Amino acid sequence: MAESNSLTDAEIMLKIAGYDSKALEQLYDRYAPFLYTLIKKIVTDKETAEEILSDVFVIIWRQIDQFDFKTNNIYTWLVTLARNKAIDVLNRRGGKMLPDYSDEYEKEQIIPKLSADVAALELEEVLNGKGKMEKALGSLTDAQRYVLELSYYGGLDQEEIANKLKIPTVTVKSKMQVAIGNLMQKLSEAK
Amino acid sequence: MDKKKSLELIKLEVLGCLNEKDLESLKMMKEGNEDFPWKELADYQNLVALIPSSLEMKYPASELKDKTAMKLYNIRDEIKAKIDAKKALEAPSQTVEEHLELEEKFVIEEKIEVEEKVFAAAEEGFHINVDEPLTTGQDESFRIVSNFKEKEESKNLINETHDKIETAVSKTAPEKDVIEKIARDFIKAHIEGDIDLLNQSVKKNKILSFIFFFITLILIGALYFIKQ
Repeated sequence: MAESNSLTDAEIMLKIAGYDSKALEQLYDRYAPFLYTLIKKIVTDKETAEEILSDVFVIIWRQIDQFDFKTNNIYTWLVTLARNKAIDVLNRRGGKMLPDYSDEYEKEQIIPKLSADVAALELEEVLNGKGKMEKALGSLTDAQRYVLELSYYGGLDQEEIANKLKIPTVTVKSKMQVAIGNLMQKLSEAK
Repeated sequence: MDKKKSLELIKLEVLGCLNEKDLESLKMMKEGNEDFPWKELADYQNLVALIPSSLEMKYPASELKDKTAMKLYNIRDEIKAKIDAKKALEAPSQTVEEHLELEEKFVIEEKIEVEEKVFAAAEEGFHINVDEPLTTGQDESFRIVSNFKEKEESKNLINETHDKIETAVSKTAPEKDVIEKIARDFIKAHIEGDIDLLNQSVKKNKILSFIFFFITLILIGALYFIKQ
C-alpha cells in the first residue's frame, strides 16, 4: 500500500502530472472516501457512485494537464470535479437533454475552472472544520438549506427548483443568493 | 453596480444553477471587466466545495481500487501518446542521429541488466516461471499502471507489462533463450564435476562386483572339490 501521508497534495499532483501511478494511488487513498461520500449523496446508489468515483480518477489521470498548478487548489478542484461528474450522470440518467459526452465536453463542463486568485484548501483542514460547516449550515433557514441542497446535491437549476417548489424563479434566485451569502458569513464568523 | 451583479451571478454559478442567459452574461463580465471580483469567485468556489464536509463519511468497496487500476491500464496507449508528445516538446533540439545513438546505448544497457538479473537468479537456484500468471491483489492495484509508467521510461520493459497482462509469449521469447543458455552454463559449471565423480564411483563398483563374483566362483569350485 502506498504511504498516504508522506507527500503533500501539491507534491502528489506534480507527480501525477509526470504520470506517476503511485502518486495517483496516494491521491486515491487520501481522497476516495471523501469524494465517494459526496458522489453517493448525489446519485444515492452504491454501484453508480463507485463507477463515478472510478471515472473521476480516470479523468484526473487523463486530464491532469488541465489542472492549474499556479492555483494549486487541489481540494476544491477534486471536489468540484467529482460533483460535476456526478451531477452529469444524474442528469443524463434523469433524461435531461445534454450534448454527447466527449473529450471536449469533459473539458468544458466537467473539469472545474477555478479562479486563480485563491487561498488553497487542504483536506485535513477541511475535515477538522467539519463541525463549523455543520453549524453554519444549521444556522440557515429550512427553506434556504433546501434550495441549497436541491441545487448542490440535486443538480437542479433555478428554473427547475422554481417548478419543483412552485415559486417564481426570482424568488429561488434570491433565496439561493441569501443562503450562500449567509453560509459564507457564518463560516467566516466561526473561524 | 457591475460588481454587485457579478457577485449575484457568482453565487449562482458556483452552485451550478445558472441558466444559459445568466451564464453568458457572467462569461462576458469575466472577459470584459478588469475589475471582475476573482477573489470573491475563488472564495465562493471554496465555500461550496466545503459543503460536503458536513456529510457523514462513507467508504467505497475495497475492490474499487483494482477496478480503477484496470480502467487506467486500459487507457495506457492514450497516456503513452501524451508522454511521447511531452517528451518531444521537452527535447526538440535532439537530432535523429543523437536519438538513435541514445536508443542503441539504452538497449545495450538494458540487455546487460537483464542478463545480470538472470545470472543472479541462476546462481541462487531461482526458478523463473515464464507462465506465471498476473496477480492483482489489493496492494498491487496501481502497480499495473506503475509498471506501465516505468516501462515508458525504458522501452524494452514495455513488453514486460504486455507479457503480464496480455501476451506472455512476445516478451518472454528473448529471455527464454538467455535462460536456456544460463541453464546450460550452470549445469556445465556445477553439475559436470558431480557427474564425473558419479561415473568413477560406478566404475569402481563394477570392478568390485567383478572381484566378488570371481571370489564366489572360486569358493563354489573349492566346495565342490572338498565334497568329492
